[in-house]
Amino acid sequence: MHKSLNLIWKLLRKHISIFELAVFFIANLIGMTVILGGVQIYSDLRPVMTGESALIGSDYLVVTHPVERMGVSGKSFSKEDITELEAQEFISSVGAFSSSEFEVYGSIAFGGRKLSTMLFFESVPNSFLDIQPKEWEYAKGGSTIPIILPRNYLNLYNFGFSSTQQLPQITEDIIKRVELEITLRGNNLRGDYVGRVVGFSDRINTILVPQTFMDWANTEYGESGNQDATRLIIEVENPTDPELVAFLDANNYEVENKPSESSKAMFILKVCVAIVICIGVIFSILSIIILTLSIYLLLQKNITKLENLVLIGYTPQRVALPYNLLTLILNLSILIISIIIIVVGQGFYMGYISQLAGCELSSSPMVAIVVGVIFTTAIILFNFYIINRKIKEISRKQ
Amino acid sequence: MERIELCGVVPEIFTLRGCLSSELWHNSVCFERGKSYLIHAASGTGKSSLCSFLYGQRGDYKGIIRFDGKDIGAFSTERWCEIRNLEISILFQDLRLFGELTAMENVWIKNSITNFKSREEIVALFEELGIGDKLDSRIDRMSYGQQQRVALIRALCQPYSFILLDEPISHLDDKNSDIMRDVILREAKAQGAGIIATSIGKHMNIDYDLCINL
Repeated sequence: MHKSLNLIWKLLRKHISIFELAVFFIANLIGMTVILGGVQIYSDLRPVMTGESALIGSDYLVVTHPVERMGVSGKSFSKEDITELEAQEFISSVGAFSSSEFEVYGSIAFGGRKLSTMLFFESVPNSFLDIQPKEWEYAKGGSTIPIILPRNYLNLYNFGFSSTQQLPQITEDIIKRVELEITLRGNNLRGDYVGRVVGFSDRINTILVPQTFMDWANTEYGESGNQDATRLIIEVENPTDPELVAFLDANNYEVENKPSESSKAMFILKVCVAIVICIGVIFSILSIIILTLSIYLLLQKNITKLENLVLIGYTPQRVALPYNLLTLILNLSILIISIIIIVVGQGFYMGYISQLAGCELSSSPMVAIVVGVIFTTAIILFNFYIINRKIKEISRKQ
Repeated sequence: MERIELCGVVPEIFTLRGCLSSELWHNSVCFERGKSYLIHAASGTGKSSLCSFLYGQRGDYKGIIRFDGKDIGAFSTERWCEIRNLEISILFQDLRLFGELTAMENVWIKNSITNFKSREEIVALFEELGIGDKLDSRIDRMSYGQQQRVALIRALCQPYSFILLDEPISHLDDKNSDIMRDVILREAKAQGAGIIATSIGKHMNIDYDLCINL
């Protein structure tokens, strides 16, 4: 035999407009998908923008004094400057660049030619390096010097120099196998060494040697005694921190790898996400209004039947049940479909982002699910409230 | 519920009228469970209003109505739901059936919340009242007399202390009226319920305990 709910449904569905519900469904689906998509993309992009393997921006900044005039050697950082930097809350640690205080000549033989040039070395404490190759050790007096080159030097050679000079392109592995002839001169001494590239840095834009080698070589070949550093590397929690920017400006320090681009990108990302979410919210609000109006209209059209149901002994809750179920099913389907869309979409764009970031990024649609569940619950509760209030109103009129 | 008392009750709309000669309005009347009452009246004297007041459908009256001593003016929606399922049944003058449902569905929509009668008992009532072939006909395709009998069956599908019958046989011939009377008397007796029937002329042949001229 019939269940009472089936009968009430048969009775009350008569005026349900498929068109109105379809408009609500589509509008809310778009709104929900836009909101969840915005939130999810934002949460997926944030670590790429600011995290460990930051695509844009970095947690390490190289600080110098600005170059003011030609021919004047750059101002250096005093001990007090460094102490002051270290004292700032937004700076986690400060490292000084040491530069070679002797002459460095390097030559390399390959392709039948011998390329020779004057060079310079710099070093920073190991904790500021983005890579830690296992050969990165120098034993005092040893004849092999480990070297880290900036990765963009290699790119400069491969994509700028070699192609125009009919030279072969070289890979990182090839470079690591090449021996460089290094000659150091100073303090009336001369020493021949073998240089070996052991890694490539994305963070520090100079020819790096181990701090231990630099300290030793400067005492051995250096002439001018200990010099203050002209470049510092600082580790910061947030390179876009306005306090940090203000502090650097106030001291007239210049940042080599400026975070401004990344902070601009982050800002633009935030603005875009905010706009996207606003559009999503507007869609959702409009769709909720459509649903609310549809339900009101539906209740109004069925008002005599609703009155009669209450008069033959139905409780308002029981009369409201089919309408509550209708909105529940509609809203839950919308939530599920939009989460499926987000998961599928994520599969596409995460591939792109991983490529850009140069590493595999794991990501789950958890953020979208949590936000979606909260939103949907709020919408469902609002609809329940509207329906139950209207039906109570009808019952009380008796 | 054992007693329904009316103390000086009068529909608000009648308070403007000067002299109102009525055995019920402005008077004290008591309906007791197990007895039968006929409220006889001309059109427009407020018998449907009385049913509406007793059924909690309207509250636009002066005076006090008490169920077992409790003023019904203070009853909540929930309490009225309870009363309409367990204590008072009604056959509306305007029937209040659902046109798009079949005769059986109209009865079942009530019986499914009370679970008072089995399908077989309901079918038997349909047969007895001469509409056994109309079980699956849509209400809006049935005559008013047939609809009246469906509405009665629906009213019988619940426990009650009183059954209100607002012009129950207005569209029935004498033979069918007698069948309906027999069914009502039997069902009410089985529940020990009171019968309150209204009429504007034609009324069921019952040995009423009290006839009130409205």
